[in-house]
Amino acid sequence: MGIITIDKCDHLFWLGRYTDRVHTTLKYYLKTADLMIDSDPDYYSVLCKKVGIPDIYGSSENFKKKYPFDETDPNSIISSLNRAYDNAIVMRDYIGTETMAYIQLAIDDVKTAEKSNAPIADLILVIDHILAFWGCVNDMIDDEQIRNIIKLGKGIERLDLYLSLDNPVYEVKRTYKRMKGFLIKSKLRYDESIIYTIDSMMKDSEFNYSNVKNLLRNLIQE
Amino acid sequence: MDDLIKKSETINKLLARYGVKFGIYKNGEFKEQLFPFDPIPRIIKHDEFTYLEKGLTQRVDALNCFLADIYGPKHIVKDGIIPEEFIFSAKGFLAPCDGVTPPKNIYSHISGIDLVQSKDNNWYILEDNLRVPSGASYPMIARDLQRRGAPEAFSDNSVLDNRNYADLLKEVMDHVNTGGINVILSPGRYNAAFFEHSYLAEKTGAVLTTGKDIVCENDNLYYIDYNGRKQRVGAVYRRISDEYLDPMTFYEESVIGIPHIFEAYRKGNVALINAPGNGVADDKGIYYFVPKMIRYYLSQDAVLMNALTYLPYYEKDMRYVLDNFDKLVIKDVAEAGGYGVVFGSSLTAEKKEEFIALLKSQPRRFIAQEVIDFYDLDILDESGKSVPRKADLRAFVLSGDTTRVWPSGLTRFSRNPDSFIVNSSQGGGFKDTWVLSQ
Repeated sequence: MGIITIDKCDHLFWLGRYTDRVHTTLKYYLKTADLMIDSDPDYYSVLCKKVGIPDIYGSSENFKKKYPFDETDPNSIISSLNRAYDNAIVMRDYIGTETMAYIQLAIDDVKTAEKSNAPIADLILVIDHILAFWGCVNDMIDDEQIRNIIKLGKGIERLDLYLSLDNPVYEVKRTYKRMKGFLIKSKLRYDESIIYTIDSMMKDSEFNYSNVKNLLRNLIQE
Repeated sequence: MDDLIKKSETINKLLARYGVKFGIYKNGEFKEQLFPFDPIPRIIKHDEFTYLEKGLTQRVDALNCFLADIYGPKHIVKDGIIPEEFIFSAKGFLAPCDGVTPPKNIYSHISGIDLVQSKDNNWYILEDNLRVPSGASYPMIARDLQRRGAPEAFSDNSVLDNRNYADLLKEVMDHVNTGGINVILSPGRYNAAFFEHSYLAEKTGAVLTTGKDIVCENDNLYYIDYNGRKQRVGAVYRRISDEYLDPMTFYEESVIGIPHIFEAYRKGNVALINAPGNGVADDKGIYYFVPKMIRYYLSQDAVLMNALTYLPYYEKDMRYVLDNFDKLVIKDVAEAGGYGVVFGSSLTAEKKEEFIALLKSQPRRFIAQEVIDFYDLDILDESGKSVPRKADLRAFVLSGDTTRVWPSGLTRFSRNPDSFIVNSSQGGGFKDTWVLSQ
């Protein structure tokens, strides 16, 4: 392809971010749904707080029904998936119809799960198709820079969510290391001093998640 | 064929999987919906296609000659073949294009010619679309998916492969390219045909753009990357209409065009596919004169017939139209997409009176045609039963090094048993068009 404009970089980057937002929050939703069965029925409010979304659900039942499926809720999983689709559809010439199809299939999975008599179980298909999407990105997109911009979006989103969700340090470090690799290979402009600072923080096993999260916000330069 | 019918659900699932959709605005809201697909193909026999190919090539060649003449010496007007008011009052005639010669002197690179077959098996041209005809991508991807879903249908029948459309399109773009990359200029995600724009970009290797990343400098077009590096653009397959193409030359409030693109084109530094100003040739009023153009420019008789058409502009035709109003279909020349079409028999006495007053006051605005008794094609209805419906065929003719007819086309059908309107924006569906190789 050879030439990528600012707009296209933006779409690729956010395609990666939204796709991983669906993947990571869905996995956390499944874990939350499990905890709500017999451990903590109100655990959903912990998820809302950690992810930084308003708790508009009022009950665990409502949360289970709305968080994955409600298209009018901008923070729902289906809304993130629709945003991924919005970014994918304008990049068909770069990512290909085959790759795009997995985003469409994931949307179809959510809609099918909503009508199913076992919606939570059926949502696992969304994860299958998101993983297939990533497989397709690796396998079918020849341009290395395009692949790396999408993966950079994925890496930053995952890191941001892991920091928010208090994932273990080793997972955060591993995710950061992978993201950094994509950042360098993406050839996008970024603030090197932020990487230097985070690198230093990562050497400390007690590093502050919130500080890293704030630094990440300003990493990529326009 | 049975295989295709049996597998229609699978094929529809595949079409959904690959996002074969079109956009539509309803109550001011944009919605994407699947383009209804019918598994029973239209079948065109080899000899019949040879005949159509001859007629379509001839027609498009004549239309290209006409455009070169109208924006050049205007012999056809001077020789009295077409009255000048039909040229200069046509909405599609663009004065800024006068005297501009496009690269390789080709105006209509992609022509969508709409035909219908009547019950007596004759083919009639319904209209020419020489601006931004859309629809080729749908049968192209549908064929690909049908071959996966129902391979036996294709191993048992000798069907010409239609998946070469993108190759033909790329050849046209490369042929007129003035040096640089090929781009497809789309109004954006919320255009009805965005699927097609993005799919053709993918399949031709052209860059899909909404124009925001293209600039014109020193009368050349450049595509700009995220680091500010420029790459020259040699051909623009633009899917936006003339008036929005360049705010400096046409509609000044256009936000989807590229400022100064027309100047680059005028100086021969970029090819615009199709050329601006083509609307003068696909005007419904000009349609009447196409057989005369064929005789005038090519010294041949038209192979394919127009539907019998009357121009109320001529007094004799006006009299005929008024005397036979109830059996005619009247079309507003400024409308498209199935809009502005009135069947005389469908009007109440009051509406008829109003319409006739309008017709008399603006005779140049309308044409009248005899209603063609369409040859119906079978489609599967919602219960899976085969039922006859009105259908047309949009044939795609590509003009580059030579003029070629794509061996397929978009067959659109009405889903409403009482309707002649096949347009997707009005609920129509599509089916594959098979051209047999022997």
